[in-house]
Amino acid sequence: MSRKVLICDDAVFMRTMVADILRNAGYEVVGEAETGVQAVEQYKALQPDLVTMDIVMPDMGGIDAVREIRRHDPGARILMCSAMGQQALVVEAIQAGASDFVVKPFQPSRVLDAVERVLTAA
Amino acid sequence: MSRLNLAAYVDLFRTEAREHLGEMERTLLALEAAPAPEHFDLLFRGLHTIKGMAAAMGYRDVERLAHALESRGDPLRAGREVLRPATLALLFEGVDLLRSGVETAGDGGTPTDPTPMVARLVADRAGTPTAAAPAAPGAPASAPPADAGDPVAGQAPADRVVQVQLTPECPLKGVRALLVLKRLEALGTIRGTEPPQARWLNDGFTGRFAVTVRAGAGDDALGDAVRAAGDVARVVVRPALAGDSGPAAGTRTVRLDARRLDTLLDLVSELVITRDRLLRQVEGAGDRALSRTAQELGRLVSAMQEEVLHTRLLPVSHVFDRFPRLVRDVAQGLKKEVQLVTAGRDLEVDRSLLDSLADPVVHLLRNAIDHGIESPDERRRAGKPPAGLLQLSAVRERAGIVVRVRDDGRGIDRDVVLRRAREQGLVPPGTVALDDEGLLRVVAHPGFSTAARVTTVSGRGVGVDVVSTSVRALGGAVALETEVGRGTTFILRFPVTLAITRALLVRAGGGTYAIPATQVLETLELDPAMRVVVRGRSGISLRDEVVPVVVLAEQFGLPPEPRDGEDGPPPVAVVEAGGRRLAVQLDAILEQRDIVVKPLETVRGAAPWFSGATLLGDGTPALIVDVASLS
Repeated sequence: MSRKVLICDDAVFMRTMVADILRNAGYEVVGEAETGVQAVEQYKALQPDLVTMDIVMPDMGGIDAVREIRRHDPGARILMCSAMGQQALVVEAIQAGASDFVVKPFQPSRVLDAVERVLTAA
Repeated sequence: MSRLNLAAYVDLFRTEAREHLGEMERTLLALEAAPAPEHFDLLFRGLHTIKGMAAAMGYRDVERLAHALESRGDPLRAGREVLRPATLALLFEGVDLLRSGVETAGDGGTPTDPTPMVARLVADRAGTPTAAAPAAPGAPASAPPADAGDPVAGQAPADRVVQVQLTPECPLKGVRALLVLKRLEALGTIRGTEPPQARWLNDGFTGRFAVTVRAGAGDDALGDAVRAAGDVARVVVRPALAGDSGPAAGTRTVRLDARRLDTLLDLVSELVITRDRLLRQVEGAGDRALSRTAQELGRLVSAMQEEVLHTRLLPVSHVFDRFPRLVRDVAQGLKKEVQLVTAGRDLEVDRSLLDSLADPVVHLLRNAIDHGIESPDERRRAGKPPAGLLQLSAVRERAGIVVRVRDDGRGIDRDVVLRRAREQGLVPPGTVALDDEGLLRVVAHPGFSTAARVTTVSGRGVGVDVVSTSVRALGGAVALETEVGRGTTFILRFPVTLAITRALLVRAGGGTYAIPATQVLETLELDPAMRVVVRGRSGISLRDEVVPVVVLAEQFGLPPEPRDGEDGPPPVAVVEAGGRRLAVQLDAILEQRDIVVKPLETVRGAAPWFSGATLLGDGTPALIVDVASLS
């Protein structure tokens, strides 16, 4: 059974890109969220195996969304999607419970490596 | 051990003893500031090691002296005696003598006779009132402390050091390192990291770090966990050694001849140039498979270049740690109170740069104490704290290393300097004021001096010319900021490595030249509207400042390439060197890239405008312009 992924990003372009990368590799994209609030709601509704999370989003940012999701499900696996120069924010996200990160612009192989790492981690 | 065998160990003995001596000196300084039991432990470890090594080498004098120092320190370490300033001074002196003993031992030169010092140490101990608790009865005064050399013997067997190198292309290396740490945390207890975790998020973090971990898991499991964190190029797991715990964990060293590193760097530099040439040729061939292989090769060469450069890096502390002692001695000699604060000890710079950096900095520190910082009385009268503050810092900024020497002393009086400069004919007659740049130009002029008296500390005059010249020789630049009554800051800018530097490649008079990027402030097109003529000299007006123009081709006695209307205005590079700005007019700016600097053997009669040479991607040579020499 293919793994279910929830993609959170406020930019359609980014969501589409990540979705294409994941679908081509055989993952099932079960939902897309454009705000942190939506991300938390959809996580609860869809129970995905993995979340990709943008850091800067309107209406609750990615880091707060990570906290909320982990509060709801301490086993949630979340991959942060960061831009260069957001080092401090990525650290904060990881302290909040995110498992790994990728840096934009996305290279498909790096995204897939990171997804694999997050899903196989103990 | 036969004579011949011993000879092979002399260098090793000396290198290691020097390291211990350096640490002992720092420890004594720390003791001077605030005595703490662990300082004595450190001191003893050094002394004990030197004593042992000297005994093995048969250096009886060194052994005796180390032993006498150890014995003198014994009651202090045991807390039976309070450290008095006189004793501390004696210990300083004793360590100095030990150093000269270490340096001369095995040279066949005049050996240092330790007898008077040993006698003084014994006398000093005898004459010291003991602290409240009396010495243990029956303990002989000269008994060596037991096992002082290894206070931390015996580590738990499961401590391992995990050395990690992240891939060069890994983004946000500090965060990745944090993920590695989290993986290890899941398997055991983290005992320490090197560099300290706080520094992982700094700009200078290279993705090379070590974690000391106490874990039940096997080496392979630890290695796998690290690799699973992603972007790990290499991981090595090894048992922790006695010296690994604490902040220095993970720095294991091998000793090798520095010349081998130089050769390695030379070879890699050639490899880099050949790589560039190869890539250029392959690009034109249109063979995709070949192109991929070549690019892969290129990446490997880059990785190797980075590694080799890294092996040559040393923390600035290697040089900076000598300064507290120097400052203390100079300040005492001049009856001044000086507090030295250093920052950036951990910044890593190329070894060759480090060697050359020491002299100018020493010069500036001496200057600051001698000429900058006032006597305690004078400072009090000026409403300042009696102890002058001397700040020494090293940071990485843009393409270079920046060293600042800042004092809070009296500053440089522009009017006095200007008067002297006029007398000595160093400024145009009409000059009425000196800005920081102009001031630097004057004080950096060979022979310029305002010092009313000749002091032993700074030699003749301020000697800024020496500093300026040696910094320039390293491809660097000097700047100066000063305010009367507030203090003076000297700013030295150096390229990161002397071997490979970023440069602007330009064309002038039909030739290709390189200008070190550290000296280029900006490039722009020479709009005719910017042109001005001041006192017969052509210049450009740049943000309300007039910057003299130098046509590079003319400077070299070459005709500039003809320009037609379509070429647009000629480009200029605004450069800074020797504390002044110049607009260098060029025929064309080609590109900015890393170049491998080759020293230029100074041929008699050769033009003085070049500081070195480099080979371009296509194998043709280009001269590196020393912008400070242009006029």
